[in-house]
Amino acid sequence: MWSLQHILVYLAVAAAVAYLVKKYFLKPKSKKERTCGMDDCGCH
Amino acid sequence: MGKQLKVSLIGNPNTGKTSLFNLLTGLNQQVGNYPGITVEKKEGTCRLPGGGKAHILDLPGTYSLNASSADEQLVVESLLRKEQPDFPDLAVVVADVENLKRNLILFTQIKDLKIPAILVINMADQMERRGISLDVELLEKKLNTRVVLMSARKKTGIDELKKQIEDYQQLPVSPCLSVSELDATYFERLQKAFPEEDLYRLWLCVSQDVALKKIDESLLKANEYSERNTPEIKRLQQKETIARYLYINRFLNNAYQVDRTKATDWRSVLDRILTHRIGGYAIFFLIMLLMFQAIYNWSSIPMDFIDQSFAHLSEWTNNHLPEGPFTSLLAEGILPGIGGVVIFVPQIAFLFLFISLLEESGYMSRIVFLMDRLMRRFGLSGKSVVPLISGTACAIPAVMATRNIENWKERMITILVTPFITCSARLPVYLIIIALVIPDQTFVGFNLQGLTLMGLYVLGFGMAVLSAFVLDKIIKNKAHTTFVVEMPAYKVPMAKNVLYTVLEKTKSFVLVAGKIILAISIVLWFLASNGYSDDFYQAEEIVRAQPENTMLSEQEMQTAVASYQLQHSYIGIIGHAIEPVIRPLGYDWKIGIALVTSFAAREVFVGTLATIYSVGSEEEETIKERMSSDVNIRTGKKLFDFPTGISLLLFYAFALQCMSTLAIVKKETNSWKWPFIQLVLMSGFAYLVALGAYQVLT
Repeated sequence: MWSLQHILVYLAVAAAVAYLVKKYFLKPKSKKERTCGMDDCGCH
Repeated sequence: MGKQLKVSLIGNPNTGKTSLFNLLTGLNQQVGNYPGITVEKKEGTCRLPGGGKAHILDLPGTYSLNASSADEQLVVESLLRKEQPDFPDLAVVVADVENLKRNLILFTQIKDLKIPAILVINMADQMERRGISLDVELLEKKLNTRVVLMSARKKTGIDELKKQIEDYQQLPVSPCLSVSELDATYFERLQKAFPEEDLYRLWLCVSQDVALKKIDESLLKANEYSERNTPEIKRLQQKETIARYLYINRFLNNAYQVDRTKATDWRSVLDRILTHRIGGYAIFFLIMLLMFQAIYNWSSIPMDFIDQSFAHLSEWTNNHLPEGPFTSLLAEGILPGIGGVVIFVPQIAFLFLFISLLEESGYMSRIVFLMDRLMRRFGLSGKSVVPLISGTACAIPAVMATRNIENWKERMITILVTPFITCSARLPVYLIIIALVIPDQTFVGFNLQGLTLMGLYVLGFGMAVLSAFVLDKIIKNKAHTTFVVEMPAYKVPMAKNVLYTVLEKTKSFVLVAGKIILAISIVLWFLASNGYSDDFYQAEEIVRAQPENTMLSEQEMQTAVASYQLQHSYIGIIGHAIEPVIRPLGYDWKIGIALVTSFAAREVFVGTLATIYSVGSEEEETIKERMSSDVNIRTGKKLFDFPTGISLLLFYAFALQCMSTLAIVKKETNSWKWPFIQLVLMSGFAYLVALGAYQVLT
C-alpha cells in the first residue's frame, strides 16, 4: 500500500508539474491556419 | 448535404446583437477567444425553417468599418478576407430602432463590400412608446435589401429573420455608394495600382488606422500602400462619412419619423438623475455599496458551506483511506486545493450576476459615462471602475471584468493596476499583523487598528490610480480610439442573458484558473511534505529528544514535529535560502516560508505561520500569542515589532503575492509578458517600500 501511495503521489506531482510547464512554457502548435489576432498579426 | 451557410452578426455596440445571437443559436453555441487576443468569439448553429443549418458568428460590436481598435480590426478583416473560414455568405446587420441613422452607416459600408446583407431593426417593440413610425417598404427599396423588424426581448420577428436568412441568395448585392465619387483622381490612381481588386475593399485597406495583416496578399500590399495614413486619407474618410449621412438622410427623413408628443419618455428624466455631476456619483456609490454588501452577505452562507464541506471531506479522507502519502496529498493538498478554487465560486457568480444586471438594464453605460472624465486623467477609462471595485473582493473576477474595456491600452492598464486594490485574501494577513503591531487604542475617537486597516484600503486604491497614471505615460497605444459610449434604453434584464453570463464566467474561472491553482497546490504540498536531510526524515526522534519538549502533551508534540519537519522540508530550505534577501526587511526564515507559500494565495500566510509556530490550531489568538512573543535570534528583539509589522503590511499591500492572479492575467492577456512585468514591478516595488519602511523605523 505504501509503494502504491508513493507512486500515486509522484504521478500526481509529475502531472501537476507537466501541466504547469505545458501551460506556461510550451507554446501549443497550431494545427489550423492562424487567423487575425494571432501573436504575429500585429493587431495587439 | 450542402455546405453550411455562414452568417455574421454585425452591429453597433448595445444593439441587442448578443440577445439575437442567443435567440438564433439557443444552447448550440460556443464561446472562446479569437486566437491570440482576448476579444470574445461567439459562434453557434441555427436551424432554419427549411431544415438547413446556418453557422452564426457574433462579431464584436463596431460603429463603422474604420477600425481603430483590435476588436474593430477583427470585424474589418473578417469581411475583407474572402479565403478565411469566417468570411460570411451573409451579413446580418443589427440596428437599434432608436439610433437607426448612425447604425445605417455601418450597414451601407457592408453593402458596399458587396456582401449580401439583411438589416435587422431590433427593439421594434419600443417604437410605439417612443413615438417612432417606420416605413419599412421605403427603407427596403432605398437600401436595396430586406429589413426585419424584431424584438429580441419579446422574441418577435425571429422566424421572419430565419426565413430571410434561408433566402439570402435572392438579396441584391448592389452597393449604396460609389467611393470614386469622393475624389475621382485619387480613386482612379488607387484602382490603377491594384487593378484586380474591388475599389471599396481597396479603400478600406488603405484607410485603416491599424495595419491589417490577416488579409489577402494583394490587399496586404494595398494595406502597406505608401499613401496610407496621409492627411488626404483622413480627409477622404471624413468625406465618405458625410456622403453616407447625406445618402441616409435623403430617404430616412421620410422612412423614419419620431413624434415626441406621442412618446412616454421617462428615459431622459432618469438619465439626468443618474448622470448628474454630484447626484450621479452618490447614486453610483450607493449601488456599489449595496452590491458589495450583497456579494459578501449572500456569498458567506454558500462559502461557509463549501469550506465546511471540504474540511469534512478532508477529515473523512484522512480517517477512512489507508494511511500514506497519497492520502495526505488528497486530504492536505488536492482537496484543500479544489476547495480553495470552489470557495470563490459564489463570490464570482454573484459579482457577475450584478455586473450582468447593470449591463442588461442599461445602467452600466451611465456609470461609464459618469466615471470616464474622472478616470481618464489617470490613463483609465470609465469602464475601469467596475474591475477596480471588484478587486476589493478578488483580483481574479476583477481582471476578468476588464473584458468590457475595448481599448487595449486602458484594458491593459486596468489589468496591471487592479491587483493593488485590497482584496479579501489580504484581510487575514492585515488583521493578524495589525493586531500584533498596532496598539488597540483610540485616536480622535477612532480605533487605531481600524484606522490602519482603512488606511491600507486607501493606500491600495491610491497606488492603483497612481500606477495607472505612470503606466499611461509609459505604455504606447497601438490603437487610438475615441471614447464613444452608447446610452441604450433602460430595459428589464433578460434572465437568459444574465444566466449565460454568470454560467460562462464561473465556468471559465473554475476550469481554467482552477486547474492552475490545483496544480500549484499539489506542487506546494509536495515541497512542504518532503525533504532530503535526516532532520526531515528523523524529525520525530530529534524533537522528542530535545529536553525543552519533554513536558509537551502528545498533541503539542505532534505539532512541534510537524513544525520541525516543515523547517527542513524543501519549502523550509527555500525559506532559509531566501532569508538573506528578506533579512533587511526585518523578516526571518519563518516569514520567508510564509512568503513563499502565500505566493499560491495570500491568506496561506496565516496558515503557514500557524503551522510553523506549532500551535496545532489556526485560532488567531493562539497564533498571535506565539508570534507576539517570538524573538528575532539575530537582533534579540521581538520578531513582530512595529518596524517589521509595518514592513510586512506594506509588502503585502504592494506585492503580487497571488499565483492565481498571475494565471488569470496570463489568460486574459494571452501572454506571459504582462504577468511577468506585473510580478517584477509590483514585488520589486513592495520590496523597496518594505525595506525603506523597516530601515527608517528601526
